Amino acid sequence: MHLNLKNMDTSTLHKGDRFEHVFLNEPVDIHIIQEAGSTVKIHILNLPSLQEKNEERLNRIIIDQTGPNCTTEIYGLAYLQGEAKVTTETHVNHLVGEGKSDQLIKFVLEDQAQGRFLGELKIAPDAQKVESHQTNRNLVLSADAEMRTQPQLEIYADDVQASHGASTGQLDEAALFYMQQRGISKQKARQLLVNAFMMDVINTISEESLRENLINTLSLD
Amino acid sequence: MAKLLEIKNLHASIAGKEILRGVNLTINEGEVHAIMGRNGAGKSTLSAVLTGHPAYTVTEGSVLLRGKDLLAMEPEIRAREGVFLSFQYPVEIPGVSMTNFMRAAINEKRAYEGKEPLSAKEFLTLMREKRKLVEMADKLSNRSVNEGFSGGEKKKNEIFQMAMLEPCLSILDETDSGLDIDALRIVAEGVNRLKTPHNASIVITHYQRLLDYIVPDFVHVLADGQIIKTGDKSLALELEEHGYEHLT
Repeated sequence: MHLNLKNMDTSTLHKGDRFEHVFLNEPVDIHIIQEAGSTVKIHILNLPSLQEKNEERLNRIIIDQTGPNCTTEIYGLAYLQGEAKVTTETHVNHLVGEGKSDQLIKFVLEDQAQGRFLGELKIAPDAQKVESHQTNRNLVLSADAEMRTQPQLEIYADDVQASHGASTGQLDEAALFYMQQRGISKQKARQLLVNAFMMDVINTISEESLRENLINTLSLD
Repeated sequence: MAKLLEIKNLHASIAGKEILRGVNLTINEGEVHAIMGRNGAGKSTLSAVLTGHPAYTVTEGSVLLRGKDLLAMEPEIRAREGVFLSFQYPVEIPGVSMTNFMRAAINEKRAYEGKEPLSAKEFLTLMREKRKLVEMADKLSNRSVNEGFSGGEKKKNEIFQMAMLEPCLSILDETDSGLDIDALRIVAEGVNRLKTPHNASIVITHYQRLLDYIVPDFVHVLADGQIIKTGDKSLALELEEHGYEHLT
């Protein structure tokens, strides 16, 4: 299924359709209305070696699940350096029951970079049997970098499985020392840990050639 | 016999609390030294200080490795100079595969020695050969470093890494803790097979048990941050029988 996403405000994904796209350093501001049985899988990638260091960007995705048995997967990865500022907003609305949504949003921040994640999730009063997970993990590598994370969950149905988690931290000092004790420089050890953190998201990209290409471009292997 | 390690009047503290209070120890090539002592005597602090753990501060004294100032080196340089610590609690590193981790370690050491990196084939051959030494399952090298490894697998993995890196000074910090008797035997045999006339080991342990398998040339008793007694392997047996009480 191809949606014309250029200049788009709202698109409808019809019954049983599947839309999958990787936004690589592209502007994202979309609203998708999902009809019954449709599937959305979106990656939003803001990656350093591939873009201007000091950009400001707002990524925004709005999803309305309007029919049963819809699936929504949203993955985000932003690796920001310099004075880059990236906000990623997701608004996932389960308007009917028996739908699934999964979100994994990660930020890696260096220098004076600023990251912000706003994750709004609504499960309507009648939307029973929804399964919804939202995870936000952030790695802050510099004292001058800043991460703000705002999960907003509004769950009005009672028979749902919903989980969310957000954490912001630094690299694991014990792991760094362990690697240094094996002769690996601190810089390389940091790189291995950051790569591992990023690979979690990269690994979820379905298209193998694109995944391999990113792994090579970013020297993640 | 050439001197490998010379520790002189070593004092070290963590968070302002002095743990080592004047340790003196000389280790020659080919020797195995056991360091025994109660919890809190400073055994693990000694291994942390020798490997350059950032939480500890050396306040006095010196440590020379083959005549070079060990304390002036970054942790990774100490490692590349041949100091290896088998961790009491090996760290799990999710997402970093054993293969990538080991390749980075080997090739950074080789670069430090002015050698070319190993080819992929040479590296995998070396991994396979060294895994056999500790009877480590092949599948473990595809996993993340120590992630989901059992206690025994973690300790075998430490000795496997030691075999890969061929250190001149190995510090085995409580390598026997959490091991059943079979795993202990495998780990100890691995250590023994890695012994050469030019390398040396420091074996830190609470119990005499490990020293049945890795036989020390010297046994030192550490108490309150100092070595208070040195003997041969019979000292370990004596401690097993009478405890540390009569020494302190």
